[in-house]
Amino acid sequence: MRISINGVGIRFRKGVEVVRDVTLDIPSGDFVTIVGPSGCGKSTLLNAIAGQLDPTECVVEGRIAIDGSPPGTRGIRLGYVFQRDTLLPWRTILDNVELGLVIRRVPRAERERARELVSLVGLEGFEHYYPHQVSGGMRQRAQLIRTLAYEPDVILMDEPFGALDAQNRMLLQAELLRMWERRRVTVVFVTHDLAEAIVLGQRVVVMSRRPGRIKAIRDVKLTGTRDPFELRASPEFTRLEAAVWAELRDEFRAGPA
Amino acid sequence: MNSVRVRHERMSRARLTLQRLGFVAALLLLWEGATGGFGLPPVLEPIIVARPSSAVAEIGAYAASGLLAKDLAATLQATSIGLALGIVGGVAFGLLLGYARGTADTVEPVLIAFNSLPRIALAPVLVIAFGLGITSKIFLAFLTVFFVIFFNTYLGIRSVDPELVKAVRVMGGTRSDLARYVILPSVFSWIFAALRTSVSFALSGAVVGEFVGSTAGLGYRMAISTGLLDTNRTYAILLLLMAIAVTLVEIAKRVENRLLRWRPTSALVA
Repeated sequence: MRISINGVGIRFRKGVEVVRDVTLDIPSGDFVTIVGPSGCGKSTLLNAIAGQLDPTECVVEGRIAIDGSPPGTRGIRLGYVFQRDTLLPWRTILDNVELGLVIRRVPRAERERARELVSLVGLEGFEHYYPHQVSGGMRQRAQLIRTLAYEPDVILMDEPFGALDAQNRMLLQAELLRMWERRRVTVVFVTHDLAEAIVLGQRVVVMSRRPGRIKAIRDVKLTGTRDPFELRASPEFTRLEAAVWAELRDEFRAGPA
Repeated sequence: MNSVRVRHERMSRARLTLQRLGFVAALLLLWEGATGGFGLPPVLEPIIVARPSSAVAEIGAYAASGLLAKDLAATLQATSIGLALGIVGGVAFGLLLGYARGTADTVEPVLIAFNSLPRIALAPVLVIAFGLGITSKIFLAFLTVFFVIFFNTYLGIRSVDPELVKAVRVMGGTRSDLARYVILPSVFSWIFAALRTSVSFALSGAVVGEFVGSTAGLGYRMAISTGLLDTNRTYAILLLLMAIAVTLVEIAKRVENRLLRWRPTSALVA
């Protein structure tokens, strides 16, 4: 699904202007990463795309459309992966992964996909564990495949690997890329980690500090398949990182708004 | 490694049980001695504090007279009916007000005032209103339980994690999906956590109701024996009440642990 964001500004009714004049077109099947300093409004923008902003709390100017429909329209198959663990603590890992299918009234016999994903990310044997019984990395894996299980057409990710250690983070980046190669859905991935933005995105959008505007958009043209473990050592990656960092440096230096 | 640790844990568990039994035995022996047992001069007059051996013997006499079965039935009936009604009513009312925020904000101060009132103090009023029969006891047990369950349900709804709600909503969950998969399970964890307190509250409600005015029940029998200075029977009933309370709370604890299996277990829960 195509996401078009046109002249979007977001302001909290209490007065803070979070996002200013953002225009961005994300074609169907594109993987876009948005990187910016903390507090730059990147998560708010993501919430606006998901149709999850509370209209009593903020005003949105401009237009956001997902395949022509406004955000929050029923029938848009949308997935959202949170930074914080939002697995339901009273459901087992497998029950959590199947939740999106259960909500869509998919009969039990046809929920095989959930089981496949569970073994794909190495969670087999833990299907019947409760979230508190497994590690943070496992919970985040479960959360990722919970979203993939019901095959959304758009996946919005809000710093989903932010709370993980470096090793788990790279493992999950690799898994995400592998799954995206298998099924090219539109992904918008928000992060404050520049390396992560470059490793994952086909395009990297750099945002300024608050009120967040688009400062630069960089295409990531890397040869061959992406492998987060190999990529970081490649000269192309280093060059790109330096170029994007030049855009981002001043925004970071100014400190949180 | 693991089996060594398991064995070690089992050993220390067995040891702990032994220590606990030893402590109880020591208390009983001390009590027995202080009340003139083992041919010692009594420090406490047995007419004021019963000797444990006499109290236990009295349980036998009480049972043989046929009164124990009757009183036990009356007390347990009042406790269980009051408990059941209190849980059902508290959950229903809590859900209702939890969803109707406007109404809730209006009536909240009154409910808080009622909750602060020692409900036991309502016993005389209830006996006047509902008579000496079981109804007044059920009502008192109900009231003590109702408020605990009601507040837990109500606060449970108000403290549902908004991130979990959002997660299910973006997945395409409807209002009823939210209720079923997020709100109710979350609220039920609050309700089950209040189960143990509710059980002992219900028992106190029933017994105090029986003290104040009744024709049967453990509380009634105890009030009579106190009046007759029958210390042995009074203490026999106290021991029985303790046994009942421990059993009921243990059942509630098992139910709670079973239903809240998904919760991280605290190391302190023995």
